[in-house]
Amino acid sequence: MTATETQTETIRVATTTPGPLDYTPQMVPPPEPTDAEDATRKNYLNYDYSLFGWLFTLDHKRIALMYLAAVSVFFLFGAIAAGLIRTNLITPTGAILELDQYNKAFTAHGTIMLFLFLIPVIPGVLGNFLIPLMVGAKDMAFPKLNLASFYVWFFGALFFVYQLLVGGLDTGWTLYPPYSSKYSHTNVLYAGLGIFITGFSSILTAINIIATVHKMRCPGMTWGRLPLFVWAMYATSIIQLLGTPVLAVTVVMLAIERLFGVGIFDPSIGGDPLLFQHMFWFYSHPAVYIMILPGMGVINEVLTCFSRKNIFGYKAVAWSSVGIALVGFLVWGHHMFLAGQGYYLSMVFALLTMLVAVPSAIKVFNWTATLYGGVITFSAPMIFALGFILLFTVGGLTGLFLGTLGSDIHLHDTYFVIAHFHYTMVGGMMFAWQAGLHFWWPKITGRLYSDFWSRLAAIVMLVGFALTFLPQFVVGYLGMPRRYPNYPPEFQIYNVLSTAAAYVQGLGYAMPIFYLTASLFFGKKAGNNPYRATGLEWQTNSPPEPHNFPETPTVYFQPYEYGVKDGLSVVEKLNSGTKSDGAQTKTVGATSDH
Amino acid sequence: MTTDNATVPETSYGPVAHHFNNMGQQHATVRLGMWLFLVTEILFFGAAFVAYTAYRIWYPKDFEAGSAALNAGIASVNTFLLLISSLTVTLAIRCAYVGNRKGLIRNLILTTLLGTVFLGLKAREYQLDYVEGLIPGNVALTKEAAENVLRARADNPNLVVNNFNENLKVVLKHNGFQGVPGKDYDPSRVQLFFMFYYGITGLHVLHMVIGLGLLSWQIVLAMMGFFDFKSRYIYVETLSLYWHFVDMVWMFVLPLLYLCGPHTFGQAVEQFKLAIGLGSGSGH
Amino acid sequence: MTTPTNSSERHADEFLSHTVPPTSTTLTVFAALVGLAMLALLIGFSELGPIKVLASLGCATVQACVLGYFFMELKQADKLTWLVVASGFFFTGIQFVFTLTDYLTRHLGVL
Repeated sequence: MTATETQTETIRVATTTPGPLDYTPQMVPPPEPTDAEDATRKNYLNYDYSLFGWLFTLDHKRIALMYLAAVSVFFLFGAIAAGLIRTNLITPTGAILELDQYNKAFTAHGTIMLFLFLIPVIPGVLGNFLIPLMVGAKDMAFPKLNLASFYVWFFGALFFVYQLLVGGLDTGWTLYPPYSSKYSHTNVLYAGLGIFITGFSSILTAINIIATVHKMRCPGMTWGRLPLFVWAMYATSIIQLLGTPVLAVTVVMLAIERLFGVGIFDPSIGGDPLLFQHMFWFYSHPAVYIMILPGMGVINEVLTCFSRKNIFGYKAVAWSSVGIALVGFLVWGHHMFLAGQGYYLSMVFALLTMLVAVPSAIKVFNWTATLYGGVITFSAPMIFALGFILLFTVGGLTGLFLGTLGSDIHLHDTYFVIAHFHYTMVGGMMFAWQAGLHFWWPKITGRLYSDFWSRLAAIVMLVGFALTFLPQFVVGYLGMPRRYPNYPPEFQIYNVLSTAAAYVQGLGYAMPIFYLTASLFFGKKAGNNPYRATGLEWQTNSPPEPHNFPETPTVYFQPYEYGVKDGLSVVEKLNSGTKSDGAQTKTVGATSDH
Repeated sequence: MTTDNATVPETSYGPVAHHFNNMGQQHATVRLGMWLFLVTEILFFGAAFVAYTAYRIWYPKDFEAGSAALNAGIASVNTFLLLISSLTVTLAIRCAYVGNRKGLIRNLILTTLLGTVFLGLKAREYQLDYVEGLIPGNVALTKEAAENVLRARADNPNLVVNNFNENLKVVLKHNGFQGVPGKDYDPSRVQLFFMFYYGITGLHVLHMVIGLGLLSWQIVLAMMGFFDFKSRYIYVETLSLYWHFVDMVWMFVLPLLYLCGPHTFGQAVEQFKLAIGLGSGSGH
Repeated sequence: MTTPTNSSERHADEFLSHTVPPTSTTLTVFAALVGLAMLALLIGFSELGPIKVLASLGCATVQACVLGYFFMELKQADKLTWLVVASGFFFTGIQFVFTLTDYLTRHLGVL
């Protein structure tokens, strides 16, 4: 036993002799396996190399990787669409696209980014991979359903993208009738079917996550000891469960109207187009919380680890996730203030919109308080997380202008709205996804990536993003409408600025492809816990073995036990020298820079 | 509740799935999973009913007129068919629980049969709607267009011209509905009602078909001896939860769509007789 | 420290404690449902006027409750299941209340 281990034994007194998994994070984990052991050790990646073993896997970790591959490809499509939009907006009369092509471009960008990237990414990749590990289970509650959920999503997404490519969709991602049902000449019916199919995947994943969190926790893992990422995923799953069916039935009704030429939103027979909007936004507003809550969950994990502090206000953060999920269902009418909705109802929605900002604000305050007094390391995940807090706060605050009846009259359907939701979705969710990907990459792949390149990519993304959308707030306030390919010449400077920065942003997104791939071949082996993070997932091997843990763990510790006595000295000791067996002791996910 | 299987030995309970620790956990998880799925179905049909209610608030008279044109006889019989099928599927759970393979297969087959008869009657109902011409669309919105239709039909009596408004008037007259089109109801609003009728009953039919597929699968499994392990009754129970839910939706569909407008019992009997071919099939 | 609570241990006895009701109960409930269905048809074929909607929906609700409580075994279900069911109906209710508020008050215009 080294001096470090004797010292930390005094911190926690276990009532029984600790077994191999019953240690607190302050104790040093078991010695890393030697290369000989490593070569023969089976993990979830190398125990089976067959294609059948991958395509028909029931292992949640492999399913997560399949989601990762597919989601990345669809993100690329969405990014290309974004590039087309921004490039076209360089000149006031449209630089590269015809009018109808422009409509198809922004519809493609919106639908792909929302349904094929933002909604499935963290639940499908990080949720699938980490939730069983974090609760100490061998797999998700319904492994076969998990695989089915992936394939349903994947084939629905392929079908949808095919429809976008062979005829496009030009209604905007919001599919409002009567344009989408009567007048559009594009593949509304089949595209709607594609969205309908991918919605099933949302529901099935949600069922899996809720059942897993309720029924599959290991001994000692009470609700109060769950990582906040699990709380956030649980809240996300509640929204998915309750909201997605309404989208499904709305798309079905739209499809019926499109197919049969007669429908229930048709004003000529007394129908009401606003009814579609009610039903559509009943799902689509909670959908934005489906997108952001997992990101907030990731931020909890990253912030605590890289400031070496317990989260400030665990209960507040946990319950605010559930609060966002529930109150998020009460505000959908704020998308319809100018659509003809009754004034009394609009007032109610405006009031409730103010209310839904409160749980998000609680989180931001708690994160800030977590950072205060912490020992902060500016690793790549941390840069993304800090960027998240800044950008999401800006996005959230600008949402208040849109939620206020008076100012919304001026700002509705302008670039202000676009800037607002890109700040929350990209500045918020996308950055949180990058933070999570970078944070758990060593656990997923067993490799460390370049510290230098990852931090550089984070900064490039941050700068690129901020400069892309900041001008859009201004030009939106000045009156430039959204979804317009033509605009008055005085707005050109803002658009050019925005486009230039968008290219920088794109460069930033491309960078991880290179250094993360390089890490697979050239990265140093990560070991169980390169960041000295808390959480059950860090107490097992990287990459984890097929059934996650050698034996079912028992949890004796509270979550985020970073700030305990001698915690700092452990960090210092670890940073100052090597352990007795000569293993790597730096706490950050760094390799030697190349 | 008494249980009469207290003497059954543990070994007949069955294997636990690899990612669960014990049978109780497996059962609790499977039950929770199905209830979570049913919640999505509540929201699914609930949203459709919200849309229906919105229009019913705006157009109450038109919705009553539309409902008066529907076949309440078939709907009534279908209600009882579904209730009996709910009974048989519940009895099937009991059979699986005590290990009665023959009873289980018999009850599952009965449930499937009753569901199939329901679908058969439903198909007949849709066919009658088609024959009566109650298909929304191609509405003659102008007087001139209406005259064209009448002229065309006068020239060729066998010509099938879809004119919803005209067809609706005929059906309502046959059913004894007292309202006057244009004054008491607006036929084009009734088209809205009919879109809901086809949409909601169509979605219900879709769920029935899926349920029948699942029932058939379980019949095959039962024949293969899958349910000889008594712990596997949980899967029959899970299917019964789904089936009962489909029945529950029908319990709301009946008063909202079919019985919303004026119907009489005698009329319903006539309509049912017509459906199964015993009726007088009086001309329109 | 107490024995750690184990999700699976808490459910270990669910298998043996969860019973399937005897056939006599099932048949009694079935009879009740048939009776309620006949009542629903009675209401539907009558001419009650304005309260017909409320009466038929009320009857349907009672039918649904009987079906759910007995046939769908909510009677012996745990609190979580009740919470799940309640949340389903609660959020459907939210959608009803808010959307119908629009349809009932839209024509009223500004204050």
